[in-house]
Amino acid sequence: MKVEGTYTLPASRQEVWELLNDPNVLAKATPGIKQLDPQGDDTFKAIIEVGVGPVKGAYVGQVSIADKVPPERMTLKIEGGGRPGTIKATGELRLEEQDGKTVVAYSGDAQVTGLIASVGHRLISGVAKQMVGEFFRALEKELERR
Amino acid sequence: MVISHALGARIKRREDPRLITGRAIYVDDLNFAGMVHAVLIRSPHAHAKVQSIETSAARRASGVVAVWTGEDVSRRCGPLPIGPRIKDMKAPKRFPLVIDGIVRHVGDPVAVVVAASLEAAHDAAELVEVDYEPLVSVQNPETALAIDALLIHPDLGTNVCFRMTFGGGGIDAAFASAEVVVKTRIVQQRLIPAAMETRGVVAQHKGGELTVWTSTQIPHVVKTTLAETVRVPEHEIRVIAPEVGGGFGSKLDVYAEEALVAALALALGRPVKWIESRRENFIATVHGRGQIDDVELAAKRDGTVTGLRVRAIADLGAYSQLLTPGVPTNTGLMCCGCYRIPNVHAEVIGVFTNRTPTDAYRGAGRPEATFLIERVMDVLAAELKMDPAEVRRKNFIPAGAFPFKTPTGATYDSGNYETALEKALDRVNYTALRDEQAKRRQQKRYMGIGIASYVEITGLASAANLPGGNWESATVRVEPTGKITVLTGTSPHGQGEETTFAQIVSDRLGVSIEDVAVIHGDTRAVPYGVGTFGSRTTPVGGAAVYVAAEKVRDKATRIAAHLLEASHDDVTMNGARFLVKGSPDRAIDFKEVARMAYKAFKLPPGMEPGLEFLHFFTPKERVFPFGSHVCVVEIDPETGEVSFKRYVAVDDCGNILNPLLVAGQIHGGIVQGLAQAVYEGVEYDSEGQLLTALFTDYVVPDATQVPPFELDHTVTPSPHNPLGAKGVGEAGTIGATPAVVNAILDALAPFGVKHLDMPITPRKIWAAMQSGL
Repeated sequence: MKVEGTYTLPASRQEVWELLNDPNVLAKATPGIKQLDPQGDDTFKAIIEVGVGPVKGAYVGQVSIADKVPPERMTLKIEGGGRPGTIKATGELRLEEQDGKTVVAYSGDAQVTGLIASVGHRLISGVAKQMVGEFFRALEKELERR
Repeated sequence: MVISHALGARIKRREDPRLITGRAIYVDDLNFAGMVHAVLIRSPHAHAKVQSIETSAARRASGVVAVWTGEDVSRRCGPLPIGPRIKDMKAPKRFPLVIDGIVRHVGDPVAVVVAASLEAAHDAAELVEVDYEPLVSVQNPETALAIDALLIHPDLGTNVCFRMTFGGGGIDAAFASAEVVVKTRIVQQRLIPAAMETRGVVAQHKGGELTVWTSTQIPHVVKTTLAETVRVPEHEIRVIAPEVGGGFGSKLDVYAEEALVAALALALGRPVKWIESRRENFIATVHGRGQIDDVELAAKRDGTVTGLRVRAIADLGAYSQLLTPGVPTNTGLMCCGCYRIPNVHAEVIGVFTNRTPTDAYRGAGRPEATFLIERVMDVLAAELKMDPAEVRRKNFIPAGAFPFKTPTGATYDSGNYETALEKALDRVNYTALRDEQAKRRQQKRYMGIGIASYVEITGLASAANLPGGNWESATVRVEPTGKITVLTGTSPHGQGEETTFAQIVSDRLGVSIEDVAVIHGDTRAVPYGVGTFGSRTTPVGGAAVYVAAEKVRDKATRIAAHLLEASHDDVTMNGARFLVKGSPDRAIDFKEVARMAYKAFKLPPGMEPGLEFLHFFTPKERVFPFGSHVCVVEIDPETGEVSFKRYVAVDDCGNILNPLLVAGQIHGGIVQGLAQAVYEGVEYDSEGQLLTALFTDYVVPDATQVPPFELDHTVTPSPHNPLGAKGVGEAGTIGATPAVVNAILDALAPFGVKHLDMPITPRKIWAAMQSGL
């Protein structure tokens, strides 16, 4: 399953970069996140609750940030498992400044197994897109608050 | 055989009242004091290495009595059976749980949790942590064949389970000299058998006996296999198939869970129950079909077929189950269909993939054979611009040519293929229908007429690894009060033999059907039998009942003659009464003869007491039912939707014991065959995740999605059994798929559409109408 798109945030590239590297912000902005414990080296233990149609459940896993080129790009790696199956995803974020705003281009690929794959497959792309949207809107709110 | 008042009568199924009022007892209805519940933990990956299985939290959980992994199984269980012995076949050993640390399909079981309640078992199962390292999986059977393909079972050194060729004549010369050659490539998609009752097993070890209740088609085979797998002497095992809610071949197997639950009951000393969830049923019970066929036909311009070349690649899935390789080999055997084709070469290749294993499913290799030959006959007709009916007539094996041996090695017992086709064509008024089709095309209305003529095998010879061959046992026991108990080795799950076997006995012994009980499915009650599959119930199991009843009749006549002080030859039976020829006042009731058989003080000299016979019936050969189905559809060009206008089936199953039951079998069969054509199809993603994992995604049709059926018959008795009957359980499925697909493609001919893969959905039709494929 692939997800890609762009989202424009009303802040400088440096500000957005800092936001994306703040575990507290990530914990607040990521939909369904129940817990995000830093393990050092840009690695976090995470518990995320996601519902895809009839398949709901908690995933326990690891989120790590790699290939960092501040403030231009980073790669997110997510691996987790739970009652609905397992998920393994990588996503790349590229930041570009345009007229004082920052365009975040994201592209991700995920492999899912279990119930979420077999039962939720027709809904999963929609859910992923929705979650990405929620994430960026939460970041936007965070920027407004600052 | 003379069809009497009892045989051939429309008698309602005696088993139905209990089935439709919820009084039947299935495996899940069994509950015993102290019973514990098993839940299996299955791989979510199509191919992965099991790095570790952490069970300590599950073991500590409330109510848990055991958690087993492959290690526990390898100490307690031997391997499960792996298919018939085909020459040079390579198949891996399989065990009740994965024991070598590699999972090979989604659903492959790695651990089992047993707890005091089902809920506790499910909760504890979530605490088992399995660490998988995903491996690249092999999904496409053609990819699996490639020289550098990743090996699913490295020990075998290949992904090919077997290669088998069928045929004769000079195939290369036939194609070299052909006036016309047509080719088609057919994907016969995987199907999910989807029996109404999922599988289930209860096992109990008590008083020196291991009793296993299982939803199976073959209780005796399960018993013999369990003796070897869980190492209990066979005479201490009792297997019971209680009510079985459908099988369609998917319960013609010896499954991991049967051995696992038995082993758990032995180890724990408590009754253990496992009931398959619907989701498990979709990933852990065998799938059907799964074949890619390249088919070529060589012919003369006048439509005479001179050669047939087939290359069938069968997707066996991850393991060979009880009969897995025996399914596609039926396709090789039966690929000539109803036609006299002098030169044939069929290669069948069975290939392992990282998918759920395939095995028998209603028709088991014969639907695939019929589909490929009936499709390519239509392709030939289109190429020659001949009527599809005419191409068939031109090539049918003539009625006078039976028994007929095909180049692939089948010997058809009896047949009259052209008569069956003509009857079906008359019924739809074929010529007028073709005129109407032409007229409608002018009005941009798209009607299609599809023909399928089939011949198939019933009373299948069973495989080398089954303890039984192509025989069946029956006991006819007359009780001292004249009531009759029949014990049959067949094991029904929808066949209705409690009715038809009682009819056979009623016909032979003059008693009423109500006075006959038919007992099956309990290995302690019933002498060794083979089971129910391959439409063998009537031609093999029913024939056994017939012969046993004849033996009873003969002995009863001798006792009656002795009591009446008449010569044996002078005594005749009229209903349930014995009469002396020419002396109508000298008579004795069957009931009185039964009583005297057990009182035994006035038997003919040297005769044993009692009135009971066990007969093991072996037919001389397999029998080959046939028929022609005609389907008429109309396609909505706006939506691609198919509406069924007519469906006519003319089936020949030899003598008909009960027209009502025959109709029921054909109805159900057509629904399943039609479903393959337009509704059902298993889909996996590229990683081997099953995408059609629920009934929301896997379309099993309901009554509103199928047309009314118009049934008719021709009657060509089989010479191979005393009933003259052929099986009819699979015929409908075999005829329907090609009839429907041929009808749809006939409707789409004006658009230049020559081929569509099944299931042919409105979306595919619509897209093809736009582009012309």
